[in-house]
Amino acid sequence: MSSRRKLNDRGLLLMSWIFSAISVAVLVVILAYIFRTGWSVLSPDFIKNNYRSDSFYALLEEAPAGDFTAPAELPEGAAFSRKFGFALSDAKDKQNNDVTQLVYLDSESPLNEAIMDSAGVDLAPKGEAIRPPEGLIIDRIQFLDAQGEKAEVGSKKQMDAQSSIDLLDEEAASLVKYHGLTMGGGIRGSLLTTLILIVLTLIIAIPLGIAAAVWLNELAPKNKTTALLRTGVDMLSGVPSIIFGLMGMTMLFEITRLFGITEQSIVLGALTMSVVLLPLVIRQTEEALKTVPVSMRMGSLSLGASRTQTIFRVVLPQALPGIVTAILLSMSRIIGESAALIYTMGTAIVDHPQLHRGATTLALHIWKVMSGEQPDFQMAAGISIVILGMVLFMNLITRLLLRRFRRN
Amino acid sequence: MNKEKQIDLEQALKSSASERPASEATVKPRTAESRQAESRQAGPLPSELQQEGLQPAEIMADVKNLELYYGDFHALKDINITIPERQVTAFIGPSGCGKSTLLRCFNRMNDLIESCHIQGEIHIKGKNILSPETDVVSLRTHVGMVFQQPNPFPMSIYDNIAYGLRCQGIRDKQLIAERVESSLKKAALWEEVKDHLNRSATRLSGGQQQRLCIARAIALQPTLLLMDEPTSALDPMATSKIEDLVEELKADYTTIIVTHSMSQAARVSDRTAFFLLGEIVETGSTEQIFHKPEDPRTEAYISGKFG
Repeated sequence: MSSRRKLNDRGLLLMSWIFSAISVAVLVVILAYIFRTGWSVLSPDFIKNNYRSDSFYALLEEAPAGDFTAPAELPEGAAFSRKFGFALSDAKDKQNNDVTQLVYLDSESPLNEAIMDSAGVDLAPKGEAIRPPEGLIIDRIQFLDAQGEKAEVGSKKQMDAQSSIDLLDEEAASLVKYHGLTMGGGIRGSLLTTLILIVLTLIIAIPLGIAAAVWLNELAPKNKTTALLRTGVDMLSGVPSIIFGLMGMTMLFEITRLFGITEQSIVLGALTMSVVLLPLVIRQTEEALKTVPVSMRMGSLSLGASRTQTIFRVVLPQALPGIVTAILLSMSRIIGESAALIYTMGTAIVDHPQLHRGATTLALHIWKVMSGEQPDFQMAAGISIVILGMVLFMNLITRLLLRRFRRN
Repeated sequence: MNKEKQIDLEQALKSSASERPASEATVKPRTAESRQAESRQAGPLPSELQQEGLQPAEIMADVKNLELYYGDFHALKDINITIPERQVTAFIGPSGCGKSTLLRCFNRMNDLIESCHIQGEIHIKGKNILSPETDVVSLRTHVGMVFQQPNPFPMSIYDNIAYGLRCQGIRDKQLIAERVESSLKKAALWEEVKDHLNRSATRLSGGQQQRLCIARAIALQPTLLLMDEPTSALDPMATSKIEDLVEELKADYTTIIVTHSMSQAARVSDRTAFFLLGEIVETGSTEQIFHKPEDPRTEAYISGKFG
């Protein structure tokens, strides 16, 4: 080998090394950033909680003081009230303010028999009993002292947990009411919306897409019109999704209006996403159908099966791995989509998604928390981790399914 | 059901089509007149068969003046041939001479090729199956087919054989089980697979797969069995098993076998038809074709001068 050729070979090799290193590094940096920023907000509460923080008053009807003993294990730094049987501890809320948080509640505590005094709170309707959940921020407790004078403790009064409880145990004769704040800042609603949207969209898009692919590949005459249609489908997959969003907002909206839905809604989002996904599902399914050998169709037909029987009993089952891949890709696409949904589902974060109302998916949730005056990087990164986790999970499931198909 | 033309068979035909020009070049083209004269002389008409002692009741299929075109290509020219019952008829000839094409006419598989159109008549048990009124789907249950490559469906052995029956709407589990067993026995596969009928058919060896395909075809109790080079993808051992099987099936079925191997034709068939460039040059008992061919072209092919 001439030295020049050697030099050339080395140069090319080095270049491919460098470029692959760069691409891996970029990926690692992105992941590292997301995980470093978002890891701290990840907790079961983050997934479980409502996004909105509820603020309410609960009346205690002058609950008298009793005599309670502290449980064996109290969380670190918690202050236990011997008179009323609950423990508070210092915490930070989402805005990083010092608050007092309920960390323990005795089953006999008078706090259990409070009556909700505010309307529109998830925990309980107005006038019903409210049992404060652990983790509730109680920033204000009003009590009557021995002389019947009203007084207050809690973080609203600039007191920490220990001094609040000390004062309470020292002076309070009975409790009057407390002010509670749920933590909020969770993504439960958006997570739920994402799942609903995935199911609804797949229900619409998969049968349509498979049917279209079967028609294109098995039934349509092989002529220019069919080729043109196929090209059209291919071109649709290149259309930016925001254009589909516009179409959904103007055209598909008329369809949902027939069903009495006159605003942005999850249904409208699902319809729009179905249109976005159709080209992908059709293409994937068609590719899968093409991998089924002609000899299978001939074998089936030669056994006196009709064309329909051949398609449904022989061809489609063999195309199943490809169809599963199409479903997975569709799900990932739904999870990641934002542009097409901004117009059709709105950007208001909702804790209780309803089909005929707008809501946000996880991706839109990120968009929303980042679009305000104070972008919440932490939350955005936290949601990103959840999204990455979902996509990874789906990938694993598909791998498992495909492996099982292959084994059979 | 008559218009099942869409599935792309062109691919399947490509191999034979690509060989066509080569074989065309080896033999001089002839005029239409001489062709007709020759075929009249070569292809025995039913009357001729009767002279050989065959009664009409013993005739399974009768092809009359069949012309077949793939687009502009005249693939089969004035074909006349009679297939006697419970005998093995072999179609031999060089690649691209139209023997597989004619075979596919018997169960109308050529319908699947859009560019293909056919004139003439094929009577099976006295009924013209090329007429537009023919129910192609039910025709194919009476005329079974085995392909060049074993093509079992990727399902269990049992389901492969039950497939044809289930497609007919047969739900009777006992009947299906009986048919599965009897067809596997007839196809000499029962002993090998009876303990794992639920295993995937694709895990069988090539020869077993081909016998499964034969079992699958005879599960429908066809009157005519078409075999399109059934051993071309198999090793010698598997080939000899299939040949034995063809011999055994003769008791119940009429078989037409297309083969490239002249020795195979000599071994398994009772009658042989020699095809060349879309025509039948000569038909007769296998004995006669191989030992006393009337046409010089047959002799040239048999003795290996071309092909």
